[in-house]
Amino acid sequence: MKILVCIKQVPDMESKFKINAEGTWYDGIDLAWRMNEYDEYAVEQAVQLKEQVAGSDLTVLCIGRQQVQETMKKALAIGCDRGVHVADENSHQKDPFEIASVIAEFASDKGFDLIFTGMQSQDRGSAQVGVLIAEMLGMPSISTIVDFAFADGQISAKRELEGGIKALVKTTAPALVTCQLGLNTPRYPTLPNIMKAKKKELLSVEVADLLKVEAKQETAKIYFPEKKGGGLVLEGEVADLADQLIQILKDKTAVLA
Amino acid sequence: MEFTREIYWNVGHGASTLVPMYLFTFLAVALLINEARRRITAYRQGKPLDRTDQLPVRLVMMVKNVLLQRKVLSVRGPGLAHSMFFLGFFLLFIGTCLIVLQADFTDLFFGVKFLKGTFYLLFSVILDLAGLVAIIMLAGLLVRRYIVRPEGLDCKIDDLFMHGLLFAILISGFVIEGARMAVTEMGTPLAIWSPVGLAFAKSMSGMTAESLRSLHGVTWWLHFALVACFIGSIPFTKFRHIFTTSANYLFADLGPKGKLATLDLEDEDAESFGAASVQDLSWKDLFDGDACTSCKRCQDRCPAHNTDKPLSPMKLVQQISEAAQHNPEMNLIEACDKDAIWSCTTCFACQEICPAAVEHVGKIVDMRRNLVLMEGDFPGEEVMAAMEQAEVNGNPLGIGYASRGDWAQELGIKTLAADPEVDILYFVGCYASFDARNIKIAKAFVQLCQAAGIKVGILGKEEKCCGEPMRKMGNEYLYQTLARENIELIKGYGIKKVVTSCPHCFNTLAKDYRDFDFDVEVESYTVFLERLVAGGQLKLKAESFDCTYHDSCYLGRHNNLYEAPRNLIQAAGGTITEMEKNYSEAFCCSAGGGRIMAEENLGSRINVKRVMMAGETGAPSLLSNCPFCLTMFEDGVKGAELEESLKPLDIAEILVDRLES
Repeated sequence: MKILVCIKQVPDMESKFKINAEGTWYDGIDLAWRMNEYDEYAVEQAVQLKEQVAGSDLTVLCIGRQQVQETMKKALAIGCDRGVHVADENSHQKDPFEIASVIAEFASDKGFDLIFTGMQSQDRGSAQVGVLIAEMLGMPSISTIVDFAFADGQISAKRELEGGIKALVKTTAPALVTCQLGLNTPRYPTLPNIMKAKKKELLSVEVADLLKVEAKQETAKIYFPEKKGGGLVLEGEVADLADQLIQILKDKTAVLA
Repeated sequence: MEFTREIYWNVGHGASTLVPMYLFTFLAVALLINEARRRITAYRQGKPLDRTDQLPVRLVMMVKNVLLQRKVLSVRGPGLAHSMFFLGFFLLFIGTCLIVLQADFTDLFFGVKFLKGTFYLLFSVILDLAGLVAIIMLAGLLVRRYIVRPEGLDCKIDDLFMHGLLFAILISGFVIEGARMAVTEMGTPLAIWSPVGLAFAKSMSGMTAESLRSLHGVTWWLHFALVACFIGSIPFTKFRHIFTTSANYLFADLGPKGKLATLDLEDEDAESFGAASVQDLSWKDLFDGDACTSCKRCQDRCPAHNTDKPLSPMKLVQQISEAAQHNPEMNLIEACDKDAIWSCTTCFACQEICPAAVEHVGKIVDMRRNLVLMEGDFPGEEVMAAMEQAEVNGNPLGIGYASRGDWAQELGIKTLAADPEVDILYFVGCYASFDARNIKIAKAFVQLCQAAGIKVGILGKEEKCCGEPMRKMGNEYLYQTLARENIELIKGYGIKKVVTSCPHCFNTLAKDYRDFDFDVEVESYTVFLERLVAGGQLKLKAESFDCTYHDSCYLGRHNNLYEAPRNLIQAAGGTITEMEKNYSEAFCCSAGGGRIMAEENLGSRINVKRVMMAGETGAPSLLSNCPFCLTMFEDGVKGAELEESLKPLDIAEILVDRLES
């Protein structure tokens, strides 16, 4: 079984973000980088599937600068067999359609039975790349999965719907799934696997070789949300506080209507 | 008349005595050697470890602790009883040797007798009293074990056998002496030189010489049989500690105190890291369990054990020994119980008190290393998250690394990147960099240095966690990664001296980093400030206050720094009301051993227990010297409901309040 898992390197969300000079993305300095959280679930699930199906081969793909190879090494340490780094200094300027096209172009002749991606990235958060790849490759996709099972070529995945309802969706390989929080608990790579990962094949491909399309959208501007009214601290006797609170709820909300 | 006595009186010195006597002695010794060999083979399953270097130092340590019983005496009651018993039994052993030497060697071959005259009188009275002391002490220990029954003291069949056998040997010895004296020494001046024997002799005064002789003969052979039993049973029972515990002083860890072995992670041939089987540990680790006497001193002091967690350092060491001796294929981590392994705070109380030089902490960390490095296993998901945070942001708190130096913005100090010409590098550590409560300590320390005219630099966002919590939790790989980055950085700036306000950072930089060629001087802020105060550079306006003081494990036990922090408190005008558990017996705050990253889900809370001990002193403030302790105490006062009456503070805060303006 041939499996592909697509990951993205994103800044740690605890970082201090600044808007870049162009005003279209965040500045790259003073950021700590890591694997996109949802991609960690994707990698873990892909490795579990590889372990389940004997003779499987698992490729991890990542687009970006040289530094993304550090994140790829973690995926290799978790259990991916080989890595494909699509070298691109400007991946952050590409729209989801371009990114999906690059991956689909790479995957088109590889015959992957299953493709795993994260549900969305933590930085851009378009949640488009996974489903676009599936569309481009002409395979079914199941998005935001929280449970995954594979048996006899059939995939059974649970999706999380609004209000805690879950849907069970079945399809057959080849297919693509996008992974959501709750799918699994990503493992911590063991030292022997970290060491082995250093020796695994890590192929680098220029993005120009795979990019055959043009962007369909552009980011006009990114900005911090405007600060609107802070919290309100009420002080005084309990009885007064309760009255004040009721008044505020009546005036400003509809909860007591 | 010449003072002496006939050796082998009544039993004779012919072949009918000597042949069976030596035959059975040899049999007993053969039994001893055979089992000892079997056990030694079991120790040798462990990895090699050099513990025979610096032999003179080791011999001195052995003499101090075997003959002078120094460590044994550190717990007064039972320690004194054991020491006195040891002394008595040791003298009797020497006495017996002298008899053998004269009767079966010097006299037999050369006709030389030395047990005579004044020497014989001394010999007689000393051995007589030694026997009495041994009996009294043994009785005391028997009462302690079976009547007082201290909590947690194991009473196995071993103990009963040993008590019974020793009593029988000592009492039968006096019966033999009494019977002999009743026949040969009554009314002679010699008699008073064996006062206890004389008392036994007097109690037999109604018996005829005939029956005294037959009583003597029977008891003599019984006594001999008991001694042969004793010799033969040594390796099979806790009697083995006579040899193993003594030897363990010879093989003891000569330090630096508490320093863990650094793993070679680049070793391409290594198939496994850490310990999951007895073969993964060193021979000394497998030997330790045989040196353990089950005195339970470690268990009594273990903070995990004292808060109903599944760890007993004593049992863990014994479980390892049990596996090595009888079940070498078994999984060590299962044998010791994973929860027990994770419960350790590496506070070192066990090793500090152990009268058998057993090393508990390294074994626990070795098993943790296997869990983390080979299984990716942690005590909880929160610990794994903290490890990942340390990988990404260089701190286990998960705060963006770039803001690490933000706390210092208004203090007028620079990072080394901006200005590397400094008197000292203040290695701030994660908590004092990011945690609001501990940032106050970092600021206070810098202000104190500035007041003393010391130019301080920090690494700011370039600094990373020293790696201590990760290392103690078993993540040697992450520790080494962090350590190497910090070392390269600090050495790159050509720094001469590093000062830390966190004892965990201090211990790691000052001891652990040495394995990576880190040779820069490292000092605890307590020692550094104490010198500034003593030298008059740092002027304080002493203002009297009452407090109690908590010795952090890593400043106290791990580094023997007890006085510098106390001197600082006194210089600030403080009067310390000591807690019952202080200095080397201080009770951990719960956060060592990487437990700062873990939830405390088993048993009761260690920090609450410690805070309650502080509360019992009645002092209004609890001073400490460690960001982990401070964090735990801030939380502990809430748990103990002492928020109103007890205020946790760091020494630096007290000092900065008393700066002469």
